[in-house]
Amino acid sequence: MNSLMYDTYTIFWRELKRYKKSRSGVLIRLIQPAIWIIVVGNTFSGTQPLIQSVGFEGKYIEFMAPGVIILTAIFTSIFGGVNTLWDRRYGFMNKALTSPISRSSIALGKMSAISLIAAMQASLILGISLAIGVTFPNPIMIVPIMAIVILFSLGFSGISVVVAATAKSQETFWGVINFLGMPLFMLSPALFPLELLPDWLASVARLNPVTYAVLLVREMMTGVSEGGVSTILSIGVIVVFVLIMVGLASYVFTREVNKPF
Amino acid sequence: MYSIETKSLSKSFGDLKAVDDISFNVESGEIFGFLGPNGAGKSTTMMILTTLLKPTSGQALVSGFDVMTQPKKVRQNIGFVQQESTVDEYLSGRENLLLQARLNHIPKELIAQRIDEVLELIELSDKQNDAVVTYSGGMRKRLDIAGGLLHRPKVLFLDEPTVGLDIQTRRKIWEYIKKIHKEFDMTLFLSTHYMEEADQLCDRIGIIDGGKIQVIDTPQNMKSAMGNEVISLTIENDKNEKAFLSALEKIELIKKINQDPNKITLFASKGTEVIPKIFQISSDLNIKINSISLTQPTLDDVFISYTGHEIKGDDAGFNRKREHAKMKRLRA
Repeated sequence: MNSLMYDTYTIFWRELKRYKKSRSGVLIRLIQPAIWIIVVGNTFSGTQPLIQSVGFEGKYIEFMAPGVIILTAIFTSIFGGVNTLWDRRYGFMNKALTSPISRSSIALGKMSAISLIAAMQASLILGISLAIGVTFPNPIMIVPIMAIVILFSLGFSGISVVVAATAKSQETFWGVINFLGMPLFMLSPALFPLELLPDWLASVARLNPVTYAVLLVREMMTGVSEGGVSTILSIGVIVVFVLIMVGLASYVFTREVNKPF
Repeated sequence: MYSIETKSLSKSFGDLKAVDDISFNVESGEIFGFLGPNGAGKSTTMMILTTLLKPTSGQALVSGFDVMTQPKKVRQNIGFVQQESTVDEYLSGRENLLLQARLNHIPKELIAQRIDEVLELIELSDKQNDAVVTYSGGMRKRLDIAGGLLHRPKVLFLDEPTVGLDIQTRRKIWEYIKKIHKEFDMTLFLSTHYMEEADQLCDRIGIIDGGKIQVIDTPQNMKSAMGNEVISLTIENDKNEKAFLSALEKIELIKKINQDPNKITLFASKGTEVIPKIFQISSDLNIKINSISLTQPTLDDVFISYTGHEIKGDDAGFNRKREHAKMKRLRA
């Protein structure tokens, strides 16, 4: 157990080192969510009466800011596993596989690094939304919000690692990831209240872990809960989702890397 | 005690037998080389021995542990320097070694000292804090080798350690490998398709071709088994050529004759005595000799005599494609 943690930290350390050396990417990856929050947030400002009808007092942009924070977390973490493919192509993976560290620690180290990076990106978006006028009733809530984002990203980085370990090419990886990412984001109350979705869409959204992450973060940011989903249920769903993904990712990764690339 | 033992080791990818029933032992402290052309099965064997691939059948023990049933024990006792550079380009040399040290569970209090030591050995101390992206090919290779050494493995595997490097750098790497062997007294197992490399470095060589080991011996024995000298000659096209060859075969000092369309190669002892006899025969048969040369046998000659063909040139691109196709087949 001790050595699993040490090995996980080793890989985590390496991933973060690599991330730090590619700082230019940080800003580029922020452009898209920033466009979302600025452009979409203002485009739909006319929907304020609709939002208010389900109990939100503020502006639409305040309603959707938590959605964009989760959007950032989703995409940063679901793209994050792609370097697994490079590692296999350029031999780092074989180096790790011939050393005494366990296979699952490689997956876990990657996932924890990805989720920390995703949370850092998300916190920058949080900063942007504060800068453009989103208010925060209780600033101390930033701590549990970040905790939720890290936890949620850990689950999504699991999806990324599973896809990367199974895919043998960049093309497959990007194809599958794009196929998964956008629908998961769209089928959630990130942009529009759950109550106002058509019944069938709302039912689908309730099966999506993203929904619960959005609801939780929104509740913490605005103080309004929505859709009759309790905080405990949301936390429970996310925790179960993360546990499943961590287990699945370690299992699939261990199985796949034992096959030649 | 043997460092590496294999018994009837085989690995098939679909119909292709990449490694075909090979058995060999490598003694502790020995430098053993696998010599063969691209696609001969060298890398596949090495991947089995380093626990990256499971053999289809047969057994392999590394440092006394079975690669199939005790892979973790094997991994604790080996270092593996791959053909391609595997260092992280954006990390510094020292950071790369630190990563390697942690991957191999070197005790925390020893890490700094070990890193200083290997940096000294491969003469990269002054560049240790530069990003690897600024290193030359030879420096990267040295760093790769250093990474394989850090944890003082009992067996160090080197897969084509000098492929793609220029000749001066290659010689430099050989020096480092010899130095390492002397300093740490570890078993080295290397694969190469450079004759000179095998000749320079190895205590014993296994010639591998088509997945099978053709012969294992010291480079010296291999060369002297061929006779001590090689005579190459070219003759004018002549209908008497057959008679000429059969007459040559009768000379006792000639051990082996290889015939190419435009060149005849004779392996002989006491070549200086053989040459006059050749001239005698040729003048009897009225055959015109265009050129004749007397040389020491090289491993090239040895290789040709065992496999019937020349080792293919430095054709890494072709090799990679072929290996890739092989792996693809396995995946399907």
